[in-house]
Amino acid sequence: MTAVKLTLDRLTKQYRAGLAPAVDRLDMEVEEGHLVALLGPSGCGKTTTLRMVAGLMDPTAGRIVVDGRDITATPVHERGMGMVFQSYALFPHMDVAANVAFGLQMRRVAKSKQTELVRNALDMVKLGHLASRHPKELSGGQQQRVALARALVVEPTLLLLDEPLSNLDAKLRETMRTEIRSIQRRTGATTLFVTHDQDEALDMADRIAVMNGGLIEQFGTPADIYERPRTRFVADFIGRANLFEASVAAASGTGSKGETVYRIDVPGIGTSEAIGEAGLEGSQRTVLVRPHRVQVELGAQPGGLTGTIENVSYTGDALGYSIRLGDVLLQVERHTADGTIPARGEQATVRWAAEDAYVLPEEVRAP
Amino acid sequence: MTATQAIRTVAQGEHPPLQRSAEERRSRTRQRRTFWLLAAPAILGLFGSFVAPLLYMVRMAFNRGSSDGVIEETFTLDTFARAVEDPYYWKVTLDTFLMGLTVAVLCVIVAYPIALFLMRSQSRFKSVLIALAIAPLLTSAVVRTYGWMVILGGGGLINGTLIDLGLITIPLQLANNFTGVIIGLTEIFMPYAILAMMSGFGKLDPRLEEAAGSLGANRIRTFLKVTLPLSLPGALAAGLLVFVLAISTFVTPRLLGGGAVRVLATEIYDQATGLINWPFAAALSILLLLLFGAMIAGYQALVRKLGIDR
Amino acid sequence: MTASAPAPFKKRVDGGAMAFRVIVALSYLFLLAPLLIVVVIAFSSNQYLSFPPEGFTLRWFAELPQQAGFMQGLQTSLITASAATLIVLVIGVSAALALDRYDVPGKAALSSFFLSPLLVPTIVIALGLVLVLGPLGLTNTYESIVLGHIGITLPYVVRTTLMSLATSDTSCEEAARVLGANAFTVFRRVTLPIIRPGVIAGGVIAFIVSFDEAVISLFVAESGRPTLPVQILRYVEYSADAAVAALSVVLIVFSAVVVVVVERLMGLKRTLA
Repeated sequence: MTAVKLTLDRLTKQYRAGLAPAVDRLDMEVEEGHLVALLGPSGCGKTTTLRMVAGLMDPTAGRIVVDGRDITATPVHERGMGMVFQSYALFPHMDVAANVAFGLQMRRVAKSKQTELVRNALDMVKLGHLASRHPKELSGGQQQRVALARALVVEPTLLLLDEPLSNLDAKLRETMRTEIRSIQRRTGATTLFVTHDQDEALDMADRIAVMNGGLIEQFGTPADIYERPRTRFVADFIGRANLFEASVAAASGTGSKGETVYRIDVPGIGTSEAIGEAGLEGSQRTVLVRPHRVQVELGAQPGGLTGTIENVSYTGDALGYSIRLGDVLLQVERHTADGTIPARGEQATVRWAAEDAYVLPEEVRAP
Repeated sequence: MTATQAIRTVAQGEHPPLQRSAEERRSRTRQRRTFWLLAAPAILGLFGSFVAPLLYMVRMAFNRGSSDGVIEETFTLDTFARAVEDPYYWKVTLDTFLMGLTVAVLCVIVAYPIALFLMRSQSRFKSVLIALAIAPLLTSAVVRTYGWMVILGGGGLINGTLIDLGLITIPLQLANNFTGVIIGLTEIFMPYAILAMMSGFGKLDPRLEEAAGSLGANRIRTFLKVTLPLSLPGALAAGLLVFVLAISTFVTPRLLGGGAVRVLATEIYDQATGLINWPFAAALSILLLLLFGAMIAGYQALVRKLGIDR
Repeated sequence: MTASAPAPFKKRVDGGAMAFRVIVALSYLFLLAPLLIVVVIAFSSNQYLSFPPEGFTLRWFAELPQQAGFMQGLQTSLITASAATLIVLVIGVSAALALDRYDVPGKAALSSFFLSPLLVPTIVIALGLVLVLGPLGLTNTYESIVLGHIGITLPYVVRTTLMSLATSDTSCEEAARVLGANAFTVFRRVTLPIIRPGVIAGGVIAFIVSFDEAVISLFVAESGRPTLPVQILRYVEYSADAAVAALSVVLIVFSAVVVVVVERLMGLKRTLA
């Protein structure tokens, strides 16, 4: 089942003439039942996008299509969305049950049916016992669940979550991630989820749209985004990354997933291997190597790139090195079990499997 | 199908021309319409209750009136001229000014300790004490003036007590003159002065006084050299506020003055209701407004200059 | 020799602080003197205004209902103050809503306009009202008093409502809209309940300001519809007896209730400053 639930068609929002658009000709398709994360730094346009989908903001240009119907001109209260706000926006003057029932009242659901649906929704978020509390008597996590129940009880066409976890403490955030994800799976609600937290996005989303400056830099599965970033921005924003420029030489084979294996030449350092899309031979590209994919051996060893250890950081579980290779300061991360702790100034040789280095398809941007 | 691989390279700085969508334009118009729809009743109410009367009054001042109630529709400065030429009104204006000044000074002096105390107090009754200091604002000026009539009157509290004690035989003349009016007004405007000083004292940092104390200054020196100079702007603002309130007040001069106190406000009332000389009442009002406006402007300039947050 | 028991931690008698406290207490006494004296008089059995009180009586309160002038004034004041409050609440709350929730050019000017009646002497507004209403034959009516009081009470309602709106979370309103509520429902079910403290505080202040107002009422309706303050004013011009004191106590209690309500809801200082 791969029906398209939501289509954004060249969606644009420009707050004022002359100002860079907050959202710039955005195209996106969201499949039924998917949880899609809009991920990016603050000011990237992710919240603006969400608010346009909700109907809280009118687009400057473009269309929003849900279930094949253009809803761009539909007023917010007729869109049938469910939304969870960053502040939760629970009605302070109503108890939990009344908060959850609000959307049902607006839909003129029969009283008895309302009671039943509210009870079910609260049970789903495990708050059945707090139905008569007021929001200010609840903890942050509980408020969050009420907000979720309130959004879901109306069986919304889309569930919109605006940084729902950012006001929770770190531990609770982890729990709520799993919980939101499992509730979302159970209800099958197609969900748009705004976050600036990459871990959250990688953990929860079926698809991630990485946004930057009003544009989608990349739209794909979490693994795609992490392993095969298309731009330097994405590679840098998601996870820790070593990024350096290299000349892509001739293709030397084919990787396990069908990518081309290239020999790459890092100026002033040496040659190595990396995989990438087809047809990049002879170009100047950025290469990504994740710190924990780098192998290290102490001393100058043949068949690798040799450099000097500039810094070592010991964090218990992991050992981090900064290794100077010409102009590149390579970050390496290894498990502490891997060996003894080397000293600064020692020589070390690094190498990586071709599959662990990725040539970004994006052309090198002028600095 | 898989998701669109949406990667585009739009050159930085190249923004699409602002072509607002129909929705966006419609919603802007709707917003504007709702705004004015919501604001219109209040604008209308204020127009009827406030703007129109003021404008009409200004116009009236340029008519010619007479004490038999006949108003000649014209456009003349005669009425103003009469007010300015008559030494009686010079005296009334001067008395009004002096009364305002005296009340302002006295009021600031009496209100100052309370304001200072409330600023520093860490008592758990602080909010009660603040409420107690401001609460009289919400009691009718008529009632409070009546209270002063009882205290200051010929057979009132003070004279009664003094006579009982055998200290005097003839009652002191405390009411039905400027003395009474000034005492009453001083008390009546105290809450305003306290409020104004409390917001004006914002910069008065108790740590400065402590610092002065730790440097060996005694209490009186600390007060004179640190507290007083720092609180002076707030006190000045409070004084100006009390001044403008005092020169335009009617009830207290009327009641405590017992007909002997003639200020602009009482003149306006007499001209308007007793003599029915509306143009003249209007001209006096404008005189009062000018005095008032100049002071208000001064007050606001002062507040702005001092950066007092209100 | 218990008197010479060592007391090393005994606080030094701080003369300066004591003197300051005495001065503050005296200032408070001065501030509250007229209200205190009125209360004493109201319960004193002296036939004429004199001191000290000879005994305690409730006679003056018992006699109040027989004072036809006061009762009529009370009725007029209650009617006009209620009407003015109701009108000002409706127009003031909607104006505050416009000012806070919509972004339209000219907003700041409009905001100062709504607060401007407090910057003009009441007596000048009162005269203007007579000049407008007199020729139209509208003086000495309930309507004239209500109209006159709209201007001077509106600023309080606008201000307290704005204060409540400024601290309220607009995302609650957005949440309600997303859940299917139209603009009116959002206001009735969400905005109004949230800003209720400010609205009530504004209403209560508007009521007491209108109820206590003497000058506008005196100008526009002295002969036809004297309000209670006007009745008292005219009464005490000729006789300052204990009947007025009893009435004043009733009004003071009334004000005290208002003070408590406003203090509880919004904080008195914030609201009036």
